Amino acid sequence: MPRVVETDVLVLGGGVAGCSAAITARDQGLSVTLVDKAYVGKSGTTAAAGMRFSVFNPEFGDNFDDTMRMITEGSGYLNDRVWTEICIKESWQAYLTMAGWGVEFPVEDQREGVFVPKNKVDSPFASARIIRRGVPPPLRRQCEEIGVTIMDRITVTDLLKSNGRVVGAVGFQLTDLEPIVFRAKATVICTGSWSLRTVGAETHNMTGDGQAMAYRAGAELTGGDMHSSHHGSAEYPSWRGGRAARAIYRRFVDAKGEVIPYGFEVGPAVDLAFHRGRGPIYHDLDAATDDEIERMWQRQRNSDDMESRRIGFDPRKRGKHMISGGQDCVVGAGIWPAGTDCSTTISGLFAAGDSLSIRSAAFGGLPSGNIMGVRAGNGAVKYATEVGMLPVADEELAGALKTMLEPVQRKGGFSPRWVTQLLLNTMVPYYVLLIQRGDRLQAALTMVEFFRDHFVPGLYATDPHELRLAHETKNMVLGAELCLKACLFRTETRGSHYREDYPGQKDPEWLAWIKEREDNGQMKLWKQPVPREWWPPRLKAEQGGTR
Amino acid sequence: MTIEKIDAKLCDGCGVCVNSCPTDVIRMDEQRHKAVIRYPQECNNCDYCELDCPRHAIYVSPERHSPLVVGW
Repeated sequence: MPRVVETDVLVLGGGVAGCSAAITARDQGLSVTLVDKAYVGKSGTTAAAGMRFSVFNPEFGDNFDDTMRMITEGSGYLNDRVWTEICIKESWQAYLTMAGWGVEFPVEDQREGVFVPKNKVDSPFASARIIRRGVPPPLRRQCEEIGVTIMDRITVTDLLKSNGRVVGAVGFQLTDLEPIVFRAKATVICTGSWSLRTVGAETHNMTGDGQAMAYRAGAELTGGDMHSSHHGSAEYPSWRGGRAARAIYRRFVDAKGEVIPYGFEVGPAVDLAFHRGRGPIYHDLDAATDDEIERMWQRQRNSDDMESRRIGFDPRKRGKHMISGGQDCVVGAGIWPAGTDCSTTISGLFAAGDSLSIRSAAFGGLPSGNIMGVRAGNGAVKYATEVGMLPVADEELAGALKTMLEPVQRKGGFSPRWVTQLLLNTMVPYYVLLIQRGDRLQAALTMVEFFRDHFVPGLYATDPHELRLAHETKNMVLGAELCLKACLFRTETRGSHYREDYPGQKDPEWLAWIKEREDNGQMKLWKQPVPREWWPPRLKAEQGGTR
Repeated sequence: MTIEKIDAKLCDGCGVCVNSCPTDVIRMDEQRHKAVIRYPQECNNCDYCELDCPRHAIYVSPERHSPLVVGW
């Protein structure tokens, strides 16, 4: 018999959302087990956070309607307005909560205090400074102090179900392959975004494991049709610096020195310039003002100074810096929230942070991660108290364990590293997800479906490390399929979804979210219309009375 | 693009880097009581190990490098 861990609340993933959920549930007296495939306190996107913590506070002169409008227009009117309001209005409480848990918000300028004035940052809100990689360790300490059971370096591969409810999960130890069965009254998925292992993005750990498990358990997902374009340095593609400089100062020029105009997002404009043969493209620091250079330098000192010094990048030296072609690094599909308690469409399963799709509603990653985590923790407590521990059928457990260990029990097969490489070669070039066209999406999908049908069932691992890779690879292939199908489905251009064959935004036809779910072994996609009261004001007026 | 070396002369086997690595590149050599680069292919160049090493024993290269992964 494998080792069994029983817990009231099981939290998968130890970033800001996971720790917030775990602390919230534990504070109410329940037993909580927090599992991470790496190490809680150093894992996930939270570990990479190092810029600012957005806060909304009317006392600072922040205007709610302006803030809501900015997020709404930025999302192409697809943001969930209920969640946007929650994320904006609860950000101040998130700041107080995190500070109470020991997260440091340093004072660097005595005149400014903790908060960076809004005229000093590239957002219309005040924000608190955070220390790069300084957020997760206090969260871990808080978990430990109040008695959350932390289990590091455990790869969870699938959820366990009983009569349609999630009742736990199975995983294995990274050091010795020991299988572990988690039996839980409520399970919370906080495993981060669904990204591909793109060079230059430190998100290689976020392989959508939680979303993939939820999908296999029958939960509804959404998204996958919006993208995040990532540009790095052409000279040092894996160097993550320069990002701060590119965020602050956005002048890009093409090979002839012509400036590339951009809208809300820099990415698509630069990707289009590449696509039209205007490369190489440069980040042009020669035209920056002294004040902009100073801000870039200050930001670098507070974030990626070591890495930048190593390659000799210093914005004060100015110059034109060749950037790499657009790559997509985030698949974007997330679990559909069934309520503001972060429940999902499957009983017993909750989700928070980047794993939960609140559809571009977030107001800063860290505060929104905390807000969702706290809500998921409260939701899980309520559910666990009402429902209690349910039994797991022997066949269900045996099936999950068999699936988990299959790659390491095979005598041969396909290397997870190789399949990952093939997947990246298929998905990452800009002409697939960033500048899309139906025929290219279909070509990529044909290959991804081949990987799914031919390679994934034969993934082969020789040790626990490779077994983790095998499951991550399987999840990335699923993410790619969800993403390509959603892109093909959305026959218009909106936000970061750019279709050469369907130019222009189609309202109200595509004022809709794309939902995805497994249905008898098939991936089912359908439209969920955005409520009419959330339509753009002009459209509502035009369509008035035609309902 | 990847972690290049862990200086065995400087490494005191504290194991901090093993937990710092999100992708399980570094493991402890229990016999020698030293951290070793066990799975360099998975390095995502986050530099966390180098930033966290109290003995400054680790070096992550910023050089351009694209690994060629073959089937078998």
